Amino acid sequence: MSTTAPPSHPEFPMTRPTRSRCFPGLRPLLLILFLLGAAASAPAEGTRRSDRSAWERSIVTIEVARKQYDYYQPWAQGTRRAQKSGLVVGAREILTTADEMFDRTLVRIQKNGRGRWAVGEVSWVDYHANLALVTTSETNFWPGLKPAALGSAVASPDGNLQILRWREGNLEHRQAEFSQFSVREGQLSPINQAVLEVSSEIQGAGWSEPLVAGSRVVGLLVSQEGRNGYVMPASFIQSILEARRKGQYHGLGYFHFYWEPGKNPASLARLKLAGEPRGVIVIHVPDRPDGGEQVVKPDDILLNIDGFDLDMQGDYQDPEFGHLNLENLAVRRKWAGDALKIQLWRDGKPMEVSYRLPKFEYTNSLVPYAVHDKEPDYVIVGGLIFEPLTDSYLQSWGAEWKRNSPFRLNYYNNEEPTKERPALVLLSQVLPDPYNIGYQDQKFLVLDKLNGRKISRLTELQEALQQPTDGCHVLEFAPGDSIRRIVLGAGDVEREATARVLQHYSIPAAARIHN
Amino acid sequence: MVKKLIVILMSAVWLAAGRAGEPEKSVIQIMVFVQPPSWETPWRSEPVRRQGGSGFVIKGKRVMTNAHVVSWAREILVRRYQDAHPYVAEVEYIGHDCDLAVLKVGDERFFENLPALEFGELPKVRSSVVTYGYPAGGEEISYTRGVVSRVEMEVFSHIGNRQLLTVQTDAAINPGNSGGPVIQEDHVVGVAFQGMPGLENTGFFIPPPVIEHFLADIANNHYDGFPYTGIRMAPLQNPAYRRRLKLPDNDLGARVDALLPIPSTCKVLKEDDVILRAGAFPVASDGTILYQGNRVSAGVAFQLVQAGESVPLQIWRDGQQQDVSLPVYPYSGDRATGYQHDALPRYYVYGGLVFTALSLDFMRTQGRAPGDPAHNELLYELYYHRLENPATARPEPVVLATILPDAVNANVANRGRALVNQINGLRIEKLEDVIRAFETNTNAFDVVGFLPNHSVECLDRVETAKANAGILKNYGVTKDRRL
Repeated sequence: MSTTAPPSHPEFPMTRPTRSRCFPGLRPLLLILFLLGAAASAPAEGTRRSDRSAWERSIVTIEVARKQYDYYQPWAQGTRRAQKSGLVVGAREILTTADEMFDRTLVRIQKNGRGRWAVGEVSWVDYHANLALVTTSETNFWPGLKPAALGSAVASPDGNLQILRWREGNLEHRQAEFSQFSVREGQLSPINQAVLEVSSEIQGAGWSEPLVAGSRVVGLLVSQEGRNGYVMPASFIQSILEARRKGQYHGLGYFHFYWEPGKNPASLARLKLAGEPRGVIVIHVPDRPDGGEQVVKPDDILLNIDGFDLDMQGDYQDPEFGHLNLENLAVRRKWAGDALKIQLWRDGKPMEVSYRLPKFEYTNSLVPYAVHDKEPDYVIVGGLIFEPLTDSYLQSWGAEWKRNSPFRLNYYNNEEPTKERPALVLLSQVLPDPYNIGYQDQKFLVLDKLNGRKISRLTELQEALQQPTDGCHVLEFAPGDSIRRIVLGAGDVEREATARVLQHYSIPAAARIHN
Repeated sequence: MVKKLIVILMSAVWLAAGRAGEPEKSVIQIMVFVQPPSWETPWRSEPVRRQGGSGFVIKGKRVMTNAHVVSWAREILVRRYQDAHPYVAEVEYIGHDCDLAVLKVGDERFFENLPALEFGELPKVRSSVVTYGYPAGGEEISYTRGVVSRVEMEVFSHIGNRQLLTVQTDAAINPGNSGGPVIQEDHVVGVAFQGMPGLENTGFFIPPPVIEHFLADIANNHYDGFPYTGIRMAPLQNPAYRRRLKLPDNDLGARVDALLPIPSTCKVLKEDDVILRAGAFPVASDGTILYQGNRVSAGVAFQLVQAGESVPLQIWRDGQQQDVSLPVYPYSGDRATGYQHDALPRYYVYGGLVFTALSLDFMRTQGRAPGDPAHNELLYELYYHRLENPATARPEPVVLATILPDAVNANVANRGRALVNQINGLRIEKLEDVIRAFETNTNAFDVVGFLPNHSVECLDRVETAKANAGILKNYGVTKDRRL
């Protein structure tokens, strides 16, 4: 991935895609489009000068430099720099999205779209909600800035929506048109939440640009696909910030079960629910990752959650946004650990249960959803590189990684973790050395056992390496269409090979494992 | 200048061919009208289309060609060299695994003055060959000269899941060349059959050992097919592994890494056996044998015998050398992972829901994009489940291919191309289970469960029973099942 322009010529990065990474090859094209867009940009007609001045005092530019890892060579790292917008929301408090804030090495902030950069500090970041607060101890940064007011409900957004950001010393105003409210996966987590969809000519957006209506902030732009922008509503942001201030927010929860709409009258009749079709049918209930009791069961018909009736599509009537998918009820002023009342239909009778929202943990799935603020773990044994299988690893295949990454590795995302196999360790590749001759072409293999011991973590691999079998390491891979078993020498020959590989391939260390 | 060069080259080819006799007289132009089935709507067929190919006369008044030239043929017409008269031909034997077929022509006049071409030996690498055939781009016979580039096992794309010995040449092999003879010194040394996408000047032909195996197979008036042992062999070059197996460090022997559940093979071999010799061939540590001067996969040694015969093996097990005999047979357990050409797709229609067997042919039809969870589930079931967990793999996974819209299924949300998990509580192992699950249900509703995510669809059983005949009639489905 490329970096943005150096600080002396601040430019905004490319369009923030929705839950994906940029194709390096697309960047030049997007940059050209962006520059064309910049040439044509002009303040929107009808924006009063006084309004513009007010926003100039509330919107800042944030530059984030962060480490960027090469999961194929996990010891190597590059840097990436991104610019995004920030919104002053309180005393020495700048709100922005958490996007690009992970693995950060330097945060700088700039006001008025020009001039001196101040070194910023991230005082709070939450990847579930995709929000962060930034401050700076440089006292001369704050004079002239004024907190903006986050707007309240936007049940009927009017046509005067504007996307704002600093561009080359001027505050760019871009008209946006309201499209709809919907529920989508978060940008940094799979947790569904309400978003406001807008259409705009703005290019290269999706980097926390405020969407404003009149004098209030409607939300922050979190991603963009073509003309469509996706905005995190201000009310959602407010609710999180408020809960945080009260010490009530510990991350987002979600509904840990699968359901399908109750559109089919025959399905409802089979479950003895009379009357008009309504509610959703629970179809699959995996064990809770927190070990708690699952209070919903397959074939339950969920009729009401947290006081909201569910229609046969799985929607409820949100007081602020209108019809929304029920998944939003897990994050609508409810947080991980909170309980919701669910009215359901079970075995031909109504009943009510209290559903405690499990906290979303990135490591709870067999293939962790993402790794933030952590260098990639790895272990090298005589040139064989072992790594945990994560979505971050699979995302090395680019924006279309779900399509382009090895099918079998990607399919592990469809499998649930078990006590016997809570995670996966991968033989990622082999760096050729006489020690591993015959195995140089092996790659993308999930390790099942090493020296007879089941392996799910790199620490287990290291432990098993201490227990060679008859002077050898016997590696067994998960059954499939690739090799099942290889044997390597243990002891001095292994240690010498590892040392030789580290030197030959300029690798700083044979292992990196975080707890 | 370029034109002149082409003329000179073509003349040279012509003169070379002419000097060597006139094999072109025995090269046949084949026109085929094919109608393959529709795998997504399995009760019907695709539109009839015309395709061209080549063939040549062999002993016994037969025409040899590729299986893919005549698969799903409704009519086969053959034409002699420089003769406008079309003769009707029929498939006498067809081997889809080796992509070979022989045709018979009812009209005896067809073979008048047509000498049968003789087969030669496996051509040497770097030797020249001439391909004869009727490729696209013209009506007359075409000749292309090339050099034998290499000899090795390749996937035969007609079936897709079998590898046999092939010869690679830089002679152009284009659509229409298929089935034509590759000639060297008046003898057929191959049957042109496939190219490789993305590689220029690369064509492949089927060499004499494969052709002779096919002809020997049909000598008893029945085609059995090439043996398939299910042995997954791995190189054994790492000294640590060789030491562990107490094997001499002599670069001999490849390891049995895994075995498919083929009883005849599993009775004789086990994992970590080392195959030192297969038939007459020592097996090198990279899993190859030296076959007629070519280093090729040891798999070739298992394909030189006929189905039901045995391959003598010298193996290394538990630190000792042993001699064993491995009986070999064709294998159909992975049939769904290859293209199928010899039987119409199986299906069952109930309440407008069209169920069919999951297959590579079905997956190749237009449908959901790769990456879609339901598509991934089908791919996993087709290719991986059987290998990873044979105990829970379904013998014939069933897919809801499509839905014929009707009031009785109007509220079914599933739009098809989904793996069927269970129906009315019965786990679906094969298409017959679908029928049994519906026909034995006495509850008020039929409940169909899918993977992934265990989604469920319901039908009113009584209403569905009433609607079945009307749905079939409405959509022109003459029979509700083909088993």
